[in-house]
Amino acid sequence: MPGFHRGDYLLALPMMLLTLFALGVLLIDLLLDRSSKVINAWAAFAGLAFSAAAVHNIQRAFADQAARGEPSSPFFAFSGTLMVDRFAVFFFYLFLAAAAITILMSVRYLEVEDEHHGEYYALILFSVVGMMCMAAGNDLILLFIGLELMAVSTYILVGFLRRDRRSNEAALKYLLLGAFSSGIFAYGLSLLYGLAGSTNLQQISMALGNAMAPGKARVVPAVALVTTAAGLFFKIAAVPFHQWAPDAYEGAPTSITGFMSVAGKASAWALLLRIFLFALGPMRPLYVPILVFVAIATMTGGNLAALTQSNVKRLFAYSSIAHVGYIMLGLIAGTAFLPNPDGIRGILVYLLVYTFMNLGVFGVIASLRRRDIIGDELDDLNGLFFKAPTEAVLMLTFLLSLAGIPPLAGFYGKYFIFLALIESGHYALATLAVIYVAVSAYYYLRVANAMFMRTAGDRVPVTISPGMWAGLAITGAATVVIGIYPEPFLRMVNWSMHVAQNPTVAQLLR
Amino acid sequence: MTPTAIISIVTFLPLAGGIILLALPRGAENAVRRWALFVTVLEFFAAAHIAFMPGHHFSMSGWAMEENYAWISTPAIRYHVVLDGISLWLVILTAFLTPLCVLISWRSVHDRVKEFFFLLLVLETALTGVFVAFDLFLFYFFWEATLIPMALLIGMYGHGRRIYASVKFFLYTAVASVFMLVAILWLYAHTGSFDFTVIQPWLRSHPEVAAGNAGLWLFLGFFIAFAVKVPIFPLHTWLPDAHVEAPTAGSVLLAGVLLKMGTYGLLRFCVGLFPEAARAQAGWINVLAIIGIIYGALVAMVQPSLKKLVAYSSVSHLGFVVLGIFTFTAAGTAGAVYQMLNHGVSTGALFILVGMLYERRHTFEISEFGGLASRMPVYAAFFVFITLSSIGLPLLNGFVGEFLVLSGAFRDRAIYGILGASGVIWSACYMLWMVQRVFYGENRNPANALLPDASAREKLTLWPLSAMALIMGVAPMIWLSSINPPVEQILKNVAPASHMAYVAGGQK
Amino acid sequence: MRLTALYLFASFSDFQQGRGSVQMPENYVPAFIFIAVALAIPVVTLAIAKAVRPDNPFGTKLMPYECGVDPEGSARGRYTVRFYIVAILFVVFDVETIFLFPWAVQARTLKAFGFIEMMVFLAILIVGYIWIWKKGALEWV
Repeated sequence: MPGFHRGDYLLALPMMLLTLFALGVLLIDLLLDRSSKVINAWAAFAGLAFSAAAVHNIQRAFADQAARGEPSSPFFAFSGTLMVDRFAVFFFYLFLAAAAITILMSVRYLEVEDEHHGEYYALILFSVVGMMCMAAGNDLILLFIGLELMAVSTYILVGFLRRDRRSNEAALKYLLLGAFSSGIFAYGLSLLYGLAGSTNLQQISMALGNAMAPGKARVVPAVALVTTAAGLFFKIAAVPFHQWAPDAYEGAPTSITGFMSVAGKASAWALLLRIFLFALGPMRPLYVPILVFVAIATMTGGNLAALTQSNVKRLFAYSSIAHVGYIMLGLIAGTAFLPNPDGIRGILVYLLVYTFMNLGVFGVIASLRRRDIIGDELDDLNGLFFKAPTEAVLMLTFLLSLAGIPPLAGFYGKYFIFLALIESGHYALATLAVIYVAVSAYYYLRVANAMFMRTAGDRVPVTISPGMWAGLAITGAATVVIGIYPEPFLRMVNWSMHVAQNPTVAQLLR
Repeated sequence: MTPTAIISIVTFLPLAGGIILLALPRGAENAVRRWALFVTVLEFFAAAHIAFMPGHHFSMSGWAMEENYAWISTPAIRYHVVLDGISLWLVILTAFLTPLCVLISWRSVHDRVKEFFFLLLVLETALTGVFVAFDLFLFYFFWEATLIPMALLIGMYGHGRRIYASVKFFLYTAVASVFMLVAILWLYAHTGSFDFTVIQPWLRSHPEVAAGNAGLWLFLGFFIAFAVKVPIFPLHTWLPDAHVEAPTAGSVLLAGVLLKMGTYGLLRFCVGLFPEAARAQAGWINVLAIIGIIYGALVAMVQPSLKKLVAYSSVSHLGFVVLGIFTFTAAGTAGAVYQMLNHGVSTGALFILVGMLYERRHTFEISEFGGLASRMPVYAAFFVFITLSSIGLPLLNGFVGEFLVLSGAFRDRAIYGILGASGVIWSACYMLWMVQRVFYGENRNPANALLPDASAREKLTLWPLSAMALIMGVAPMIWLSSINPPVEQILKNVAPASHMAYVAGGQK
Repeated sequence: MRLTALYLFASFSDFQQGRGSVQMPENYVPAFIFIAVALAIPVVTLAIAKAVRPDNPFGTKLMPYECGVDPEGSARGRYTVRFYIVAILFVVFDVETIFLFPWAVQARTLKAFGFIEMMVFLAILIVGYIWIWKKGALEWV
């Protein structure tokens, strides 16, 4: 039965290496005293680097494929449960980059919080393994295991500040709602399995194609769709399934808030795209109206709630909810009745740029955490420009990028999505979305105002560790460079747009 | 069409200067000021010499100069910049006003000097970019890029309610410009290009789009963005706040150049791309323009604050520009372009003058002043001269623009001309009344007794402006000869032949 | 857990028989019958007992008792948290045996491949065990 060969393991190598290093960090940590915990960070970093090398190896295989003049086809492993295509490779890189930047930004923050433990880094690595399974899974079981591995690791990371009540409360809320949503999701998956008799995404897609044939009762497929979608909407924090996000974001250690909001979100999107495009494709006529409703609710809820927040982390929690709404518009445009690949491309570009700019934002907030100053209230940012001009300018860059102001990376995410909406004839949605973009400019401006136009309440200097500098430099440079010269990044996204060439999906998109 | 690098040089020279400026040490404030002045003066000469460059005929139709490179392949975004008779003078106006802004900020800005001049230089690059960009994406890029330095200038260096004013300014323009973005994306989705020189012929060859419903919505998408910027009544409410709270240099560039982005956009894109829709909608736009002229003048009259008065006078003057553009007559539209330049010089000068008073007394209240003419004779002379130029005294610049606009308006519809002309009278009323209250009569306020007259630096700021007001009043053909061809080019698509009867030069 | 069971069930029955997909209703009929019977048994027995036994409740008889004396304090007292930790650890390691059983059944078929896979699995488990031990979770203090 086990027809596994070497290629299977090569495809799983990025995940295997990460697991190995995560276990290694757990053991090394036992030997380290309090002052040398930074070695854990280096070990985790090495794990990410090795994993990236393994991903690069897979990427080379795709290049070989192209060099031989073959059409790009995904690699399958482990009896078709793991499907590594270019789409997955793109997300692998994204997760690894996000995790690396998060680790850079974490060391000093954890020392200040006095919670510097090796488990932190091990859990980040484990959650990346889970994310990779979500991005490359071709089987409901693997996708679900990946989701849970990611989620459980994140639950613990959210509550990592054991002595902080907010952190504990956030972790508990996140755990309860997360478990609840996983249950709903699993219920949906079991119905899909019941309909198709298989956990393989392609087989499910075929079975749903038959079930959706005209004249058949669609009750069970509809219930399966709704429960699966509800579970997924929980994970990406779309309104009305978003209530956990502000609490979890506020309570979590700031570095983890950043990590959750980019890598966690990107992985949930990878999962959502896998399921909606690969498995639920034939149900497009049913789910597009749901997506429209949820997207409008998400943009409205996220943007309006963000307007009045006084806590920066909460504000960015709502802002990230709003961004989910925009990304969802890309899916609507990509799968609607006049479908086009620009929608899906927009999602990938959006997730790419969002990774850098949002991590940057949380990096700046994390660097404000000093002894006795939590630094996550809006007032704590007052006069930051006069205390730490470089950080304030970086933060301004990230804010403007989030608001979608052109010379910066964030614009391109919105650009592709709005373009796709217009191409597919969704003028009303496009107009609504741009109005909300303008609304969002207001709350980003509130943050900018505090930094540049108010006077500081305290004179405690902001000191920044080398790791944080590196993290901020990477995110800041990426935000500016992608904005001014997006060509190589767009080429990367186009390369990974293999998802649109997959036979099942191509049929859906044409 | 001559390929050249001068446009890029003029566009990015201030930015390069600004980046070098950042490298100057923090304490060296005078070095920062001198460097900023040097860069902006250099920029002025670089920009002004284009007008005299041999081999480029701005008096002929067509784009005089361009640079066109691929920037991003998908989406197809090009770095396409063009100078023609309209954009050339707006670029020169920007380059003319910025060094003056540096001069007037010499003393009045003493905190965070480096950042101030850096923002000013970035703003200059963004403004220049707006006027030369011919790729719609590039245009939007520069358009939004002007927002940030301006908002920061107001918010960091402004007066009392600066944060409120800065946010209001930012939000008004940001909200409005997203509609333009939707329209631009629609055009890209249908033409596969952002390039003006591709989109315009495409629209010409697809009359069902340009003259249909789509054309109307696209026109409105662009229009709303420009209308807020101009600002056209009733979207003007951000303007008084922004002006009153902005530092003097900010006000000068805001009134002198930023508002022109709106009118320039109306002419170049709204009328240039959608002539059918523009003609169909001209009626209510002209009515709004006239309301703006009269409303702005009436509100200016009752302002207790000097700066607010000048701000509302801008609303009134920009009404003339909009009226001129939407008469679709060669006289009116060329006059509108001329009026843009006039307004930049006159209102820029007025803000500078008001700023000088503020530096001395730290108030804008008209009632605080009186009888200043005897204390500050040189200053008063400049002020009166600029006031006369602003209200359109013959032989000064304001007259030429207003006259052309009104003659165009009469040609279009007599009632526009009659109502518009009343605006000239109103402006004489509020400006002269203000001059009377500030400079003549009894000085009852002891604080005014020891005010120093204009210093050498201030005179250096005011002389170029006054000279320019005079030259533009007596020799408008220098400007009009190169403004007319592109204007005619634009109007060719929009106006019936009878409106083209005007012969350049015959009207003076 | 339920999903895992379903998966195992599906893979072991299908892959071995070489069939692509399962027809859902027929295959689940025995399972549904089993569930119905399992639910019926306690209900039926309790109902029968209720019907045949003498039934004469009164206050003292219904009162809870501790070794014949009146109860003291609340019956809902708290256990020390250590019990939970031990219980969780027990569950974690106990559930792993679920993976060992199917492997043991198929060990001959899977040969060296299965053995290596299982050793990897156990190695991960041992890392966890060492970690728990060193963290002091096994100390009763």
